Amino acid sequence: MTWSWFFKIIEEYWPMFLRGAGVTLLISIIGTVIGAIIGLIIGTIRTIPPSDNGFKRFWLKIVNFILTVYVEVFRGTPMIVQSMVIYYGSLMLFNINMDKMFAGIFIVSINTGAYTAEIVRGGIISVDKGQFEAAHAIGMNHAKTMLYVVLPQVVRNILPAIGNEFVINIKDTSVLNVISVTELYYQTSSITGNVFRFFEPFLIASVIYLIMTLTVTRILRLIEKKMDGPENFNVIPGNQMQVARPDHVANKIGKRG
Amino acid sequence: MEDIIEVQHLSKFFGENEILKDINFTVKKGEVVCIIGSSGSGKSTLLRCINLLEKPNGGKIIYHGKNILDNKHDVYEYRTKLGMVFQQFNLFNNYNVLENCTIGQIKVLNRSKEEAEEVAMKFLKVVGMDQYINAKPNQLSGGQKQRVAIARALSMEPDVLMFDEPTSALDPEMVGEVLSVMQDLAKSGLTMLVVTHEMGFASEVADRVVFMDKGVIAEEGSPEEIFNNPKEERTREFLRRIL
Repeated sequence: MTWSWFFKIIEEYWPMFLRGAGVTLLISIIGTVIGAIIGLIIGTIRTIPPSDNGFKRFWLKIVNFILTVYVEVFRGTPMIVQSMVIYYGSLMLFNINMDKMFAGIFIVSINTGAYTAEIVRGGIISVDKGQFEAAHAIGMNHAKTMLYVVLPQVVRNILPAIGNEFVINIKDTSVLNVISVTELYYQTSSITGNVFRFFEPFLIASVIYLIMTLTVTRILRLIEKKMDGPENFNVIPGNQMQVARPDHVANKIGKRG
Repeated sequence: MEDIIEVQHLSKFFGENEILKDINFTVKKGEVVCIIGSSGSGKSTLLRCINLLEKPNGGKIIYHGKNILDNKHDVYEYRTKLGMVFQQFNLFNNYNVLENCTIGQIKVLNRSKEEAEEVAMKFLKVVGMDQYINAKPNQLSGGQKQRVAIARALSMEPDVLMFDEPTSALDPEMVGEVLSVMQDLAKSGLTMLVVTHEMGFASEVADRVVFMDKGVIAEEGSPEEIFNNPKEERTREFLRRIL
């Protein structure tokens, strides 16, 4: 009977499931955050206006070329293949034996970075040109304009897309089992080896994945609401007449009538 | 009086089109200069060239005796000396009213938060928006946004305040509140350069009116001269059309 197996497996192996879920969550959280930061940096670099200085323009072209290669390569190849190439490649070519956890976070980060770079670029393009001009007009350079005016708006606007990336990451960290990162899929596989049943452990794993993704989406919605701030604002009470001129008062009365 | 900005032989192309042709004019300290003319005559482009939002193709812009079109000149520092008020307000959407007025002071002029807030409150009072410091730009009416934008520009304590058609995007009933703030500022001795379609404002407030037509300054003089005794035929025709 399936149900008895179901509960028996939970009873016996819940610490393994929990550890797996923890590793999955850890890798996807850190990977998404680092990936988003990579994306923001690349998006900012890619929107630097061309300089008049020939030398600077040359450097910018080279940097942009490298960034384009990065984005295209990591968007254009599967993460499961990247994991193999990076993990075993660094071992064979450079003799670096990466910590598995570090390797997992590294791969998820640069993969997410490649995707968010494009999301950020779209977000920057969608910010009104007037915001850039106003920032320039009060003397901000490109870096300050981006840091204090544009990127805060971009972050708010791309948050739903970043949330999407986060959910995808929670699910896609399962491919890291090919380099034996002990995330949820890897743990579940080990359990199937112990109990010689496949359906029940993976059914449990799928429920855990679903709980994680649903929770994350809800939390992100809350963060979005928090960032939007209150819908109303307080008018600071004060001496109205100090600032009102007769024409203002007339205006207000006119509007009500 | 001392010249603050002197524009010499300024020219600007957009592709093949020559938008500004050999523009020469000066703004003196304490002066209110209004630039009028029909759409497409290059008024806004001239203003945007002066604070380098558009890069001029030729000529000089002399600011306190230095040509700021020299490559060595620090563009960003120069821009802090020129306030700019836009047609579309362009308040920073991610900040509330007070932060809009302090962010430039803190991040560009390196003032402390307390000092910046004090300065901002002073100018928010001037424009009558000191009660709305917690509001976000999207919670304000057009006229209120424009008044905050004026306070933001003033908070940088610029030498010249430039207005690019500040009332053109406003509902008619809100034009008055913005114009009356501008009028007060003009009386207080602030140097102002105003591109406007409000002929009443220009004739009342301006010390000098510049009429532009097809990328050149067609006529320049006191409001009295321009509005009552225009010398040029095209000035006369423009005024006939608009008044």
